[in-house]
Amino acid sequence: MNPKFTCTLAAAALALFVSGCASQNDAKYVDSQGPNTIVSLNSINIQDWNNAADKLVASLLESNVLERAPTLPAVMAVSRIRNNTQQQVDTDALTKKIRVALNKSGKIVTTTTLGPDGKVEDAVAADAGAMQAFMAGEKQKTTLPYYTLSGKLLEDRVKSGSTQQTTYTFQLSLTTVNDGLAVWEDETQITKQGRRSSVGW
Amino acid sequence: MKLLLATSAAALALLGSGCATSVNTVSRAEPQASPSYVADQRVITDASLGRKVAIVSVNEAKVSGDLLKIQVTLENRSSKPQAFTYKFDWVANDGMELSAPTGGWKQIQLEGRETRAVSAIATSPKAVDFRLKIREN
Repeated sequence: MNPKFTCTLAAAALALFVSGCASQNDAKYVDSQGPNTIVSLNSINIQDWNNAADKLVASLLESNVLERAPTLPAVMAVSRIRNNTQQQVDTDALTKKIRVALNKSGKIVTTTTLGPDGKVEDAVAADAGAMQAFMAGEKQKTTLPYYTLSGKLLEDRVKSGSTQQTTYTFQLSLTTVNDGLAVWEDETQITKQGRRSSVGW
Repeated sequence: MKLLLATSAAALALLGSGCATSVNTVSRAEPQASPSYVADQRVITDASLGRKVAIVSVNEAKVSGDLLKIQVTLENRSSKPQAFTYKFDWVANDGMELSAPTGGWKQIQLEGRETRAVSAIATSPKAVDFRLKIREN
């Protein structure tokens, strides 16, 4: 074989190999809701929050309890979502998705001026409402929620040899404020098993 | 040589039977449910996937008053477990695709010869049509 041709072929193959490796390692954008996100065993991934929210929203809408409210959209306040996992997570990753979905459905609006332990989500709105009522010489009108949403996140880890399994449980309850009864409850579990994190499902 | 061939065949059969975990099913002989079936059109771009998973039926319902729910029944045609990802898209009356806050690709694993339904609820009352996409892992 012509040595020049062999050299060119080898150089081309090397260039292809190097460029191939580079594209694998370089940072790139992936669809947040796509199938190529990273799956890790030690944390709740973006797709886990998404799947849990999707299942819980579907369950809530199918239950038809939202139609029982005297007016639609019904007002809902987000109560405490306890995190009993080993990780520090922001539970808004779950509740915000649920709030957005319920808001889009036209069944629920969420109050942002009431929160657990008096911690309101939108302090400016709460203050402005109080100021407006004060300037008008009236008592502040607060729209009380008809429903509250509460829940808990749980984690279960087991290991067999070098294979690790992690199950995350997402529990939610919808309570009617006037009687304190949980009119809808559900939980969904996500289990991941493997030896190390990977990209894609 | 003959012994080698026989051993290889036996090993292959054992391997094959070890991987095969098909599902046996029992259900009511005369189903009481009366689903509202949707006449569907299919676009197959992955013939291999098309051979592995069959779409048995598509039916619809309304939940929470005005929200469209679609259920698609899938069947794994092989006797081996198959993992797929799927995604529902929702389309409004004007043909515009609606954004779904909790949409995205989801995973399903069907055991050998298993039939299972995947479903989704449109979170907007504007949704009148749907698209289900299925891809192999």
